[in-house]
Amino acid sequence: MDIFLQQIMNGAVIGSTYAVVAVGFALVFIVLRVVNFAHPEIFMLGMFSGLWTALHISDNLAVVLVAGAIGAGLGGLVLERVVIRPLHGRNMLMTLLATLGVSIILQNGMAIITGPDPVPYPTIIPNMSVPLGPVSLTARQLVNFAACAILLITASYYVRGTKYGRATRAVAERPDVAAAFGVNVSLISLITVVFASLMAGIAAVSVGLLYGSAWAFVGLLYGLKAFIILLVAGNRYFEGVVFVAIALGIIEALITGYVSSGMRDVVTFTLLIGVLYFRPNGVFGSYNA
Amino acid sequence: MSALLKVSGLSVAYGAVPAILDVSLEMQPGEVRVILGANGAGKTTIIKTLLGLVRARSGTIQFDGKHDLTRLKSHQIHQLGIAWVPEGRQLWGSLTVLENLRMGAFIEHDEAKVEKGIAAMFERFPRLQERRNQLAASLSGGEQQMVAIARALISKPRLLLMDEPSIGLAPLVVRDIFDLVRAINQDGISVLMVEQNARQALALAHWAYLLEIGQIVESGPAGEISTKERVQEVFLGGAA
Ligand SMILES: Nc1ncnc2c1ncn2[C@@H]1O[C@H](COP(=O)(O)OP(=O)(O)OP(=O)(O)O)[C@@H](O)[C@H]1O
Ligand SMILES: [Mg+2]
Repeated sequence: MDIFLQQIMNGAVIGSTYAVVAVGFALVFIVLRVVNFAHPEIFMLGMFSGLWTALHISDNLAVVLVAGAIGAGLGGLVLERVVIRPLHGRNMLMTLLATLGVSIILQNGMAIITGPDPVPYPTIIPNMSVPLGPVSLTARQLVNFAACAILLITASYYVRGTKYGRATRAVAERPDVAAAFGVNVSLISLITVVFASLMAGIAAVSVGLLYGSAWAFVGLLYGLKAFIILLVAGNRYFEGVVFVAIALGIIEALITGYVSSGMRDVVTFTLLIGVLYFRPNGVFGSYNA
Repeated sequence: MSALLKVSGLSVAYGAVPAILDVSLEMQPGEVRVILGANGAGKTTIIKTLLGLVRARSGTIQFDGKHDLTRLKSHQIHQLGIAWVPEGRQLWGSLTVLENLRMGAFIEHDEAKVEKGIAAMFERFPRLQERRNQLAASLSGGEQQMVAIARALISKPRLLLMDEPSIGLAPLVVRDIFDLVRAINQDGISVLMVEQNARQALALAHWAYLLEIGQIVESGPAGEISTKERVQEVFLGGAA
């Protein structure tokens, strides 16, 4: 029983990172109608920004997290202005291919600089475990989970509870009408990409700290998961995306705990394909481009 | 008095297909003008070009004698005091009625003024107050048109562009809408309206244009236009 609960907790921690990446991916898709395949590499940029800051500037946890946000946010800013914006109004496939190209360049560019293998992260959070009733989490897991939870709550508040969040939803539904009512759609697009990137950057640093490494190809792992979560959840409801992300993390952890880690991806992908067979628009429904 | 709006030689094409050709029209402050035209004549294209949502091939659009709208972005055009009641209402269906109104007041940064504007709209449309927390998509057609009009009025525009505000509504509701346009105009807002409901539109307007296949073929005081044979034939169902 305790192992079961423990695996659920471990899974929820992993799932919270999936959720942050997936929500960022979904925001950009819904608001800009852009499939941003470079989003996972923005996550990776944040991870290395945190790493370099920890090595060369300061190993204060807050500083390192902010560094991850800045690195990823700058990456998002450049991506939106240099790649996504100029292709606005063109075929959606073109933007998709362009961001895919950026993603490949960033992966391999980073691999040239840092090598193809994971690079160790300095120890910033002590390796201790924190008992929580019948289960326990490590301090690193707690930081990762707390960071992601705060990011998701912030995103939800921004979109639901602020004037610019409202304008963002208006742009997502009817960009022309929003523009005619005074919304600078180009600015909202930029803010959306940068916001998604900031979130990814902070989550990425907490993941780097959790596993003790940064890796040029880490985006492949999280990107694929995020993409699948969106297909399964549908991109319509924020909560739906978070729910499926956490569920995926938990399912993975349970399979790893009770079956084997080798079976993990086989089982999860089969499950997900099964869901899609019955709910092609995702469990919670989708906006279509 | 200088014209509020002066459109000169405006042409727009979608790809190679021309939609409007050499259209010229103008508005004096305080007027209601109507553009009559059949389906596909280019009415919506004119409105969208004024709003910067569609780019002109040639021609100029002077607003208030000093701004050339063809050079501005849509959100800048709105800041000059031009608001829009789009064809088919085009509310944000996934936003509540209240959120739609708040979006109408997006450019107002003074929160107290926004609240005042909302209160004024609820006074004018009590039905909307009852439904303020409902998603706009769940309203009836007439209620949606009220939201569309309130959303446009809340920013206190100088020029209101209305694209077929009566389309798809029951006859009684249509009458209400035209009464409302009259009241809006009496508040000092100039209205440029596109309509197919010619009889009521002409009864209300000071000036009318007849648009056929992208070109203005008649222009004159509404009373005169309603006696033209072409208008009788197409819109008023028979000889005068
Ligand atoms: N986005 C577009 N792409 C291509 N052609 C278009 C587009 N929008 C309009 N058109 C064409 O331009 C012409 C004018 O269209 P417009 O919508 O301005 O007409 P309208 O007078 O508003 O018609 P309706 O009364 O049906 O609303 C039509 O032939 C239409 O098919
Ligand atoms: Mg039209």
